[in-house]
Amino acid sequence: MSTNRWLATGNFFTSYKEEQRIYRTHLDRSIFIVFLAVLFIWPLFFPVKNSTMLVIDNVMIAMIAVLGLNIVTGFAGLISIGHAAFVGIGAYAVGTAVTLLGKNHELIVYGWPVMILLGGMAGAAFGALVGLPALRLKHLYLAIATLSFQIIFEWVIMLMSFFDQGQTIAVGRVYWFGGKVLRQQHYTFWYYAILVFLILCGFMVRNLLRTRHGRCLIAVRDNDRAADAMGMHPGFTKVYAFIVAGLLAGIAGALKAYLDRGVGIESYTLHTSIEYLAMAIVGGLGTLNGSLWGPAAIQMLDLRVEELAELSGHYLPAELNLATALRPLTFGLVIVLFLMFEPRGIANWWRMFRSYTKLWPFRY
Amino acid sequence: MTTLTVSDVTLTFGGLNALTNVSMEIKPGLITSIIGPNGAGKTSMLNCMSGFYHPTTGSIKFGDQDISKAPPHFVSELGIARAFQNIELFAGLSVLDNLLLARHRHLNYNFFQAIIYYGKASRVEAENRAFVEDIIDFMELEAYRHSVVGNLSYGVQKRVEVARALTLNPKILLLDEPMAGMNVEEKEDMVRFTSDILIDRGTTVVLIEHDLGVVMDISDQIYVLDFGEMIGEGTPEEVAQNPAVIEAYIGEE
Ligand SMILES: Nc1ncnc2c1ncn2[C@@H]1O[C@H](COP(=O)(O)OP(=O)(O)OP(=O)(O)O)[C@@H](O)[C@H]1O
Ligand SMILES: [Mg+2]
Repeated sequence: MSTNRWLATGNFFTSYKEEQRIYRTHLDRSIFIVFLAVLFIWPLFFPVKNSTMLVIDNVMIAMIAVLGLNIVTGFAGLISIGHAAFVGIGAYAVGTAVTLLGKNHELIVYGWPVMILLGGMAGAAFGALVGLPALRLKHLYLAIATLSFQIIFEWVIMLMSFFDQGQTIAVGRVYWFGGKVLRQQHYTFWYYAILVFLILCGFMVRNLLRTRHGRCLIAVRDNDRAADAMGMHPGFTKVYAFIVAGLLAGIAGALKAYLDRGVGIESYTLHTSIEYLAMAIVGGLGTLNGSLWGPAAIQMLDLRVEELAELSGHYLPAELNLATALRPLTFGLVIVLFLMFEPRGIANWWRMFRSYTKLWPFRY
Repeated sequence: MTTLTVSDVTLTFGGLNALTNVSMEIKPGLITSIIGPNGAGKTSMLNCMSGFYHPTTGSIKFGDQDISKAPPHFVSELGIARAFQNIELFAGLSVLDNLLLARHRHLNYNFFQAIIYYGKASRVEAENRAFVEDIIDFMELEAYRHSVVGNLSYGVQKRVEVARALTLNPKILLLDEPMAGMNVEEKEDMVRFTSDILIDRGTTVVLIEHDLGVVMDISDQIYVLDFGEMIGEGTPEEVAQNPAVIEAYIGEE
């Protein structure tokens, strides 16, 4: 054990277990713990408008979803154009339970943590199903398979009266130890619930990545012939990537169903899938922290665009709906710009910032 | 100890025979070399042994087990590892991560233990890290442990390629031209590693190499291929005196 575990300077490892640590120094770890604590207590000191909290909640849900997308597209290198459909599976798992049991059934309003896990499992099951073609297909063909899943998903929901043709299926108000969660507390309550799931999912992925279950994803991405020679089944590894992605997407979807207090198809369309891809790219494909930067950045951008559209609405004729035009435009532009100038995403800026601060005060 | 037996293997690519009725026996505890001019079918033979190609006719057996149709990951688990002729490393990862990947089958914790990490996964990872460090030590890669493989020189990458195959802890190690493109010192090192792999680690070696000097020096048994056919076999002395072999080599030069 090195004598000084607070600073990077003079901090060296004397066992392999020490080198496994996520946080190299006590300082890093403490900063992280304080950061987590701040995430939990700030709403107590800075009450925000419900509309603001809703935005934050949605960003965090997108973070969970993009964590999943990063597993399959970032780490395993399999382009998925159907990620919103997996999120939709999680949401419609809740929707199905509501339709079968009623929107205020105990399982829905008391057993919501169970429902969220069930949503995750449903996502994982469909991940396995959709991932199956990965046993045979590669690259673009596989991407097309995920796209068809997205299309089929939308059609099935919109054609089946069981799912109310894609119109909103209402979900009841949940209960917590303090009783029913009312309108005023709704967004703050879900802030905490989503935060807990986000932290759990984040640690799950972080831990995966330092074990064989995460390394095998990178192996099949970088060289699946070599991965095969190393004793990994490349096909099954890819199916497994889809399962994990589906799991995280399903959790995100179930959370969204509860947050929106309803399930409707419009949140889980192809458009959303592309948005998730944009978030993953802007954040940084194949990085853990990129899954957090991406959704936040895209959401910020979205808000700015909306403001701009609103502003211009005062001067331009109303039938010239600028918001609808501006959105996809800025979106596409941002993706292209990132792919051209910073393909490693915001995560790379973070990396550079970290290595800059690490030099202080002189490591080693 | 298990013998790898290749009997009457023919491998056809669209009418062209890469291998024609080739038989060979890889005996445990020996260094067996496969030589022959370019395009003779040496890599194809290795691909058949490691499950990347499947013989059109004939069979390959490891002990009693038929592996003619087995996929690479299955063969690798049986204890046959290979290093590739054209480097096939995970270029974006560090040397350490490349080697840890080769421990895949030896890391016996499950998915749930992995996401919790503390406890079993952490312990097993540390044990395997120790094993990997042994190999790093053996292949003298200490200085490059944390370097990204893609940035290393060709010679070092070749060495990592061999180290990674060795990390699988195989019974038989298939080396496809591990010394090609190396300078003299690197080559000498690799020759030393190759014989140490057998002597220190007890791993049977199959070597494909163009440098006849090296082959004659360290091989116990040599098979000579030419245009997919076996034209000679035996100890270095026997092969050196085989008229068919001499003709193939002089005819080439
Ligand atoms: N996948 C393939 N498809 C078609 N032909 C192939 C394939 N693999 C090998 N061949 C052919 O088989 C023959 C033997 O090739 P192989 O790579 O085994 O030769 P080699 O002895 O390893 O040569 P070198 O010394 O150049 O590495 C060549 O004519 C090659 O073109
Ligand atoms: Mg070859």
